[in-house]
Amino acid sequence: MTSTIKKTTCRALVISLLALSFQTANAGMIGADQAAAQAVQSDRAAVMSVLNRSETVAQLQANGVDPQAARDRVNAMTDQEVHALAQDMQTAPAGAMSGLAWAGVVVVIALIWYYAYRR
Amino acid sequence: MLLAGCAGLEPLVPQTVALRTQWPDGVPQTIELADVPFFPQTDYECGPAALATVLAYSGASVTPDPLVKQVFIPARQGSLQLEMLAAPRNYARVSYELAPRYSDLLREVAAGNPVIVLQDVGEIFTQWHYAVVNGFDYPSGTIYLRSGKNKREEMPFTYFERTWLAGRYWAMVVTPPDRIPVTANENGWVNAVIAMSRVGGEAAAIKGYTAALNRWPDNLPASIGLANIHHDNGNYAQTVAILRSAHRAHPDSTIVTNNLAQALSDWGRNTEALALIEAISDPTNPYASEIRSTHQLILQRITQQKSANNKR
Repeated sequence: MTSTIKKTTCRALVISLLALSFQTANAGMIGADQAAAQAVQSDRAAVMSVLNRSETVAQLQANGVDPQAARDRVNAMTDQEVHALAQDMQTAPAGAMSGLAWAGVVVVIALIWYYAYRR
Repeated sequence: MLLAGCAGLEPLVPQTVALRTQWPDGVPQTIELADVPFFPQTDYECGPAALATVLAYSGASVTPDPLVKQVFIPARQGSLQLEMLAAPRNYARVSYELAPRYSDLLREVAAGNPVIVLQDVGEIFTQWHYAVVNGFDYPSGTIYLRSGKNKREEMPFTYFERTWLAGRYWAMVVTPPDRIPVTANENGWVNAVIAMSRVGGEAAAIKGYTAALNRWPDNLPASIGLANIHHDNGNYAQTVAILRSAHRAHPDSTIVTNNLAQALSDWGRNTEALALIEAISDPTNPYASEIRSTHQLILQRITQQKSANNKR
């Protein structure tokens, strides 16, 4: 019984998502992003981009970003950027630079020197 | 001996070597943007510091603190390049990723645009870092950067390239929307403006599209973008003017024709709108559903107009 309700709800949600006119968000006008795109975006691609966004927001949150900040950050990105971010979040370069990595090396060298030469 | 030295260096610092014979045309050999501000970074937060530097230089009122929430990822203890590109849009600024070329970096700095670069500054381990190039002196072979806690970091061209090469020569500039970076190309700029328009506000988008059309008058997405903003605001005369011009340049564009028909109808010119939309009413067109909606709306309005006339 519950699973039938779930299935019906899912179907209703998918249909209502598809029914939203992705191409003409602006009162009957097709958007500049469509004009710039290499290919016409299919309805499926439009749905996927909505899902990608919420997935990427979740991923940012899982990485310690505040929920509202995560939404704002994804909102500022294009569909391609959101997709790329989702792929790369764990592996892409994260510019940081602190001196702490060197601190570890210094400690190790200091210990080696101490044990090798002071004894 | 000098040639042998070059041959030895080339695989290590190919672009520095190339500069010896191909210094970019029209670029001075010495320049320093001394008034680029300095925000000493706190631990791990070179991303926010670098962004604050270029944003403030571009006229936005900003410090690194609010940027932390926009680019820093706690679990990664740093900021990703994609987010570095996205954040300036919140300040009505266009961010533009440069081509991976030394000459482009030098050109931008010479034109007055400080450049954010991604570097690997680790001696043994990889240590990613963002810094801002704000000058160079080629005769002494020095690059100047705002970097970390160092207001004026000096790096040899060769060493700089080694750190920069590791990040595949990634670099970006941030400009106000009416100022196109000197090395920007047409599609790159227009795409950057479209991206900014998500969150950067209408005024900025208008400036960005206008700058594009001043330089590339036939650019299709810029015409569409600019026309849509005017349409949003009910400025139908301007919308139609822009789209008519675009239609002359791109008579086969479905998007222009659809949007022009819609705008004409909204402006009250339904007969002309109908002629335009009928010409593209092809069910196999990828935008068939948008065209159909526009077509139905126009027909509806014509019918309403007729019945209003008959009642008189």
